[in-house]
Amino acid sequence: MADAEHQRARLRDPAEHGESRLALLLCGPALLLISAVALFPLLYTFWESLHLHDLRMPWRGRPLIGLGNYTEALADARFWGALGHTAFFAAVSVSLELVLGLALALLLQRSFAGRGFARAVALLPWAMPAVVVAILWRFLFEPGGAADALLLQTGLLARAPAWLSDAQLSWVPIVLADVWKTTPFVALLLLAGLQAIDPALYEAARIDGAGPLERLLHVTLPGLQPALVVALLFRSVDALRVFDLIYVLTAGGPGTATEPLAMYSFVALLRNLRFGYGSALAVIVFVPTLLLALVYIRLAGSSLRQEQR
Amino acid sequence: MARVLLACVLAAACACAREKPQGIVVTFPGSSVGAEADVLRAQLARFMRQHPEIRVVQQRTPDSGDQRHQLYVQWLNARARDPDILQLDVVWTPEFAAAGWLLPLERFAPPVHEFFPATIAANRYRGRLYALPWFVDVGMLYYRSDVVGAPPRSHAELVQHAQRARRAGFDYGLVWQGARYEGLVTVFLEYLTAFGGEVLDATGRAALDTPAARAALQAMRSAIDSGLVPRAALSWQEEQTRFAFQNGRAPFMRNWPYAYPLLQQPDSRVRGRFAVSAMPAGSGGRPAAALGGSQLAINGRSDQPQAAYRVIAFLTAPAQMLERARIAGQFPPRHALYARPELARALPIDPVQVQAIIASAVARPVTPVYAELSDILQVHLHRCLSGQESASQALRAADREIDALLSRVSLLPRRDHEGARGG
Repeated sequence: MADAEHQRARLRDPAEHGESRLALLLCGPALLLISAVALFPLLYTFWESLHLHDLRMPWRGRPLIGLGNYTEALADARFWGALGHTAFFAAVSVSLELVLGLALALLLQRSFAGRGFARAVALLPWAMPAVVVAILWRFLFEPGGAADALLLQTGLLARAPAWLSDAQLSWVPIVLADVWKTTPFVALLLLAGLQAIDPALYEAARIDGAGPLERLLHVTLPGLQPALVVALLFRSVDALRVFDLIYVLTAGGPGTATEPLAMYSFVALLRNLRFGYGSALAVIVFVPTLLLALVYIRLAGSSLRQEQR
Repeated sequence: MARVLLACVLAAACACAREKPQGIVVTFPGSSVGAEADVLRAQLARFMRQHPEIRVVQQRTPDSGDQRHQLYVQWLNARARDPDILQLDVVWTPEFAAAGWLLPLERFAPPVHEFFPATIAANRYRGRLYALPWFVDVGMLYYRSDVVGAPPRSHAELVQHAQRARRAGFDYGLVWQGARYEGLVTVFLEYLTAFGGEVLDATGRAALDTPAARAALQAMRSAIDSGLVPRAALSWQEEQTRFAFQNGRAPFMRNWPYAYPLLQQPDSRVRGRFAVSAMPAGSGGRPAAALGGSQLAINGRSDQPQAAYRVIAFLTAPAQMLERARIAGQFPPRHALYARPELARALPIDPVQVQAIIASAVARPVTPVYAELSDILQVHLHRCLSGQESASQALRAADREIDALLSRVSLLPRRDHEGARGG
């Protein structure tokens, strides 16, 4: 019965059927490649996370222990600390980047002499490798570095603190470095969003007597919403995986005061060679990132559909 | 394709057939930079001239200890037959031995009594010997001989001298490695021994929640809090402390022997104005020098263990050790050599002093999970020194976590069977 219907459908529209088959055929290699380089390692990491596997202790074998690694993580104070640090870093740095990025985008949108040059220069920090940025900022915040000199000379501080050896203060160079590096990226995204807003809206607002602040609140920000959401999601996905910057700046210290999840997972996996536990931590880093990415894809898709309509 | 492959195989086979039977090949991955590499290359060439039937193939490995360790673990875990000879850091021996990756050396009857007992003890695991010491590294207290006439005899005297020197214009009283890494553990080990404590007790349980350990860590914490040791030292490794000492900013420094020849270079501000000793004893302890250095061991799956041991015996023979001391400045682990005038000529430091410091050598805990144990210590020591935990909080937490680690890997002895470890 179903077969017969299928046959009829096939007879009705042979062209469409052939096309979808061709599409599958053409996408096939790409799908295979993605499975090999992305999906397989992902699933393998998950499988590994269900095992007790210490590379250094072959006598313990590699037994399947179900969610044992995950329950160990839940009882591990260092894990919760790392989770807190990751969330804190993401919240603070991403909100600063959005505010400053918006300001920078508004500035760069105005027409002034040398705008092209200014836009290029503003993007420079984004073009630098994160490790180089981190070394630079560590240099600035080392004892006797430029930060101390600046704060002492301007009289803002009477004594130079040990930035990188203090549990709270060491966040300052970390967040500053991240904000410095990625604000231009946010600004670039928002600049593109700004240019998509119809100038006629501003004109209408002005005719209606709206001041600059009202225009910002009622025209710019609503019009910028899709771009803002994209920037927010891009940045938070990145911030949740933070590693290189902190690795170079504080190595997660003092103690573990600035250790993010990705670094704890690195320590468990590659320093302590606990493949099972480290994989579980890696999966825990991955899940929120994936969820955010899914939200992003949905939102990007819906805004695309809106535009098509 | 298949034909090309076949041709290759045939060509390779012919090439093999044409050469003389190759005999024994021993592979040896090891450090490949600087004077160390030069002296090793020369010695292996000499070995092969004396033993034409054995060919030693050197393999390049990363210079960083962590990376070499990771590489070794991957090879050995994959049950590779190569490399035959392994160059081990002193804290890796128990880990590799427990994993069954090393060949016990008793069958070759190595002359263990000719080496410093501490260096042999560090290479034993559950009563068996798994590696021979190649060269010794020890933590030393460098002091400015133009500021203090003699090395401090006690920890209290060290603090006094350091405080006086600060008042006299030195930026810091004492510098040591305070960053969160292995170096911090060796510094702590010296303080701990100086105050009569230990990391693991005789039964193999953590012994850090003790008055001695608290006194040791409190001494380190007070040094930071009083400014005797700069707070910046919490991110310092060996080189930063050497810069501070070499630029005349501190009268005391804890560092390894590598710094000695560098401090004696013509452009050094402290050239000829410093000397070394062991970290002096605090109350209830003894002078202490953390033990480091390299060992040579044989892969448990090696198909040439006899030849591999001959290479090791050659490299650890007195002649080669003296040469290594002369060219690379590394201390030999054979005690008899310290009476030889050749060694006095070879080393930048007086061998009598070196021998005295090595006599105070204290090994890090011998356990297959040393790296994780050290990780726990690093975190809590660093938290304490940066003011996030008190000395007793840090030690109690470290003690508990180390016991939890040992019990997780079934190495924690039960209290009712003290001394009897499960095998």
